[in-house]
Amino acid sequence: MTIRTYTKAILLTALVTLSLGGFLLHVRIHPVSQNSANLIPVISGLLSILVIPLLFSFKKTIEYGYVLNGILVIIGTIAMAHLSIVNWPAPATVGAIILKTTLADIAILWSKFFVGKALFDLEFFGYDPRRAKKGKTFRYPNLGWWTVHLVAISLVYLIGNLVWRWR
Amino acid sequence: MKRFKLFTLGWWILHLLAILFFLYLGHAVRFVRVVPG
Repeated sequence: MTIRTYTKAILLTALVTLSLGGFLLHVRIHPVSQNSANLIPVISGLLSILVIPLLFSFKKTIEYGYVLNGILVIIGTIAMAHLSIVNWPAPATVGAIILKTTLADIAILWSKFFVGKALFDLEFFGYDPRRAKKGKTFRYPNLGWWTVHLVAISLVYLIGNLVWRWR
Repeated sequence: MKRFKLFTLGWWILHLLAILFFLYLGHAVRFVRVVPG
């Protein structure tokens, strides 16, 4: 086994264990029977455990895995932030915002994003320690591109939530 | 790595579908404030 295959296997395992942990936690805390919005973590979890590791496993599909992984992290971030805004702590002290919101959960979720980023970068940019990091920050597949998508998707979700209210 | 070209027909269709999906997601997800106790 090469160090490349070994590192890839370790990162894929990290991706699956993180996703499995998040999936089981959500099934326990937020059952689908309580709110249909709880389907989001169930579907995201299943995709993250079963589909994303498969997509990351092959060079042909790794980009789909990378994008799907990032988009699911963005969806999770927005949904959990939304839940925290609805259940905003009162009084909203700095301590309460840090400890009594989903900030910790969002931080854990982003570790899944960065594991996916490491998998993708190692596969695409190689394992050469002397190779310089190149590319424009705001273009795919760099972090600026993800920042733009996080902001844009949050805005579209916000408009959907605030403007599209009739049922 | 293939570079996904900006502002092509495929790009517009993908982004339009994504906007519709996230608009619907924002509309569909409603959380209720949990009152302790």
